[in-house]
Amino acid sequence: MQTAFARSALRLRRRRTLRAIVSRILSIGLCLMLALAARAQQSSSPPMTLDEATRQLLQRVNELEAKVKQLEEKQPVPAPAPPAIIAPAPAAPAPEPPPEVEMPTTNEVAPRLKLIVFGDVGAQGYTHIPDTFEFGSLDLFMRARLSDRVSVLAEVLFTAENDNSISPDVERLLLIYRQNDYFTASVGRMHTWVGYYNTAFNKGEFLETTTDRPFMYAFDDQGGVLPMQDVGVNVTGKIPSGKLGLNYVAEAGNGRDWIPTDEPAQNNQDRNNSKAINGGLFMRPEKFSGLQLGFSIRHDNLTLPGPAVGETIVTAHAVFVNSNWEILNEAVFVRHSANGELADTSAFYTQLSRRFRTFRPYLRYQYFNAPSDDPVYVNGTPNAYVPLNVTTFIGRLNGPSVGLRWDFTEHSALKFQYDRFSLRGLDSENGLTTQVAFTF
Amino acid sequence: MNKPSSLTVLSGLAILALFVCAAPSAWAGDAIVVIVNSSNPVENLSLGDLKKLVLGDKGRWDTGKAVAPVMVAAGAPERAAFLKIVCGMNDADMSKYFMQAAFTGKSVTPPKDVGSAAAVKNNVASSPGAIGFVKASDLPGGVGFKAVKIDGADSSEPAYKIKM
Repeated sequence: MQTAFARSALRLRRRRTLRAIVSRILSIGLCLMLALAARAQQSSSPPMTLDEATRQLLQRVNELEAKVKQLEEKQPVPAPAPPAIIAPAPAAPAPEPPPEVEMPTTNEVAPRLKLIVFGDVGAQGYTHIPDTFEFGSLDLFMRARLSDRVSVLAEVLFTAENDNSISPDVERLLLIYRQNDYFTASVGRMHTWVGYYNTAFNKGEFLETTTDRPFMYAFDDQGGVLPMQDVGVNVTGKIPSGKLGLNYVAEAGNGRDWIPTDEPAQNNQDRNNSKAINGGLFMRPEKFSGLQLGFSIRHDNLTLPGPAVGETIVTAHAVFVNSNWEILNEAVFVRHSANGELADTSAFYTQLSRRFRTFRPYLRYQYFNAPSDDPVYVNGTPNAYVPLNVTTFIGRLNGPSVGLRWDFTEHSALKFQYDRFSLRGLDSENGLTTQVAFTF
Repeated sequence: MNKPSSLTVLSGLAILALFVCAAPSAWAGDAIVVIVNSSNPVENLSLGDLKKLVLGDKGRWDTGKAVAPVMVAAGAPERAAFLKIVCGMNDADMSKYFMQAAFTGKSVTPPKDVGSAAAVKNNVASSPGAIGFVKASDLPGGVGFKAVKIDGADSSEPAYKIKM
């Protein structure tokens, strides 16, 4: 290896020297020709023939080549280049390295702990909701590596509640063990792998293009219908599949509590012995960098004030994300079964955005449709999308959102968004939202 | 219209020849050489694999050692070129990528930033799982690391893809 690289370096040097000589000769030749051409144009004597000119040029080039050779012979022979590479690390101590300037790692508040803070504030005005300046959220995200394979993730979120109080919420607390690329296990309170959006964006509005999550992925403690958080165990990893880029996800948790007065995530006590089971597959084909296709299936038995309800949630997604484009498409189907009766809910959204330098215009269309006799959603909490006097929304909600995100610094963004929703049985809702989202 | 004289034509040809001859040195950029620790058995990487290694999508070498990317700090032209060619990103994109990856619970470590090409070589030489890159002109000197081919091409070959 060492000899090969030395030879390669010498070859490169010889090539460069030769190229320099030829360039020099041609440059001189070119100057000469230009001079001759000028003289020929100016001279009153008849112009030279092509043969004469060529002969003169060749003679001159020969002279110059001889001169260059003489000059090169006079120069001392350069010492052979040191080997470019590089034997395996010797047992002897390596030579003293040059001083290294380490860039400070941002937000490193302790040697082990890394802290990232996300926040957002803004204002909104909807047809049936008073115009409001709003405190969005303050999200303290912590990550620490405990060993080569073990790390910890914690996230404490402060959000404004419906009664205007701001209360802390331990959003996630996970111990993560990564054996290799094929097996990573996490245990604790987590965001469920139901679809793409819930794990890709979580609560960090700065990371989201839009000012809010799609309706179908609204947080369960803010009127969302899907189980977005759970306490349990998650296993994920790659499946050996070559360029197909297959990955798996498997989860088991307490599931969601739908008793109206309770916290949706069952943090301390499950209401039944049945565990929510979720499994998913997704692929990131190497040939189409940025593309991800996947699906998930989740089953749980819900304990409600009425009869027990079986819940099955199927999601599918096709997303394409790179530095410029963001194309998100997701669909979900939820089936609740109680006493032999079925209630099906379907929803989807599609979102398209394209970055133009620091600006990113976007468009989203979403659809959600739940039957009015669904045995579970009658227990839900009010959703931010619907007017305040509607305590629980069950029905159809659909409509577009258009907006513009402007990243005015690398770590802060200003967003404007217009929403128009049609709601079954209610007046249409128009809304304008402004948000400043940042991270530090 | 006057016909151009033979000398003018010849001059034009000479200029063309001069450009053709000078072009390779003026236009072709300095190659960016990918280096790994000399104890690493890897000799060749695909561009796709290199992207996975740098972005933490592949966290371990076949030897089981954790992948530890290291790169010269933001602002260096070779870093900008490398990120663009290999990852399709700029520095801001990469920063956001790793922020999002950490936020979504992925166990990934962003590349370690160091202040110079010498520090990159030094880091790679001292860490068995490290991978870094330097300009070809910065490659000579130092021990304990080796260059790897990319898609089967050596950095001195025309087919080599990572050039400034």
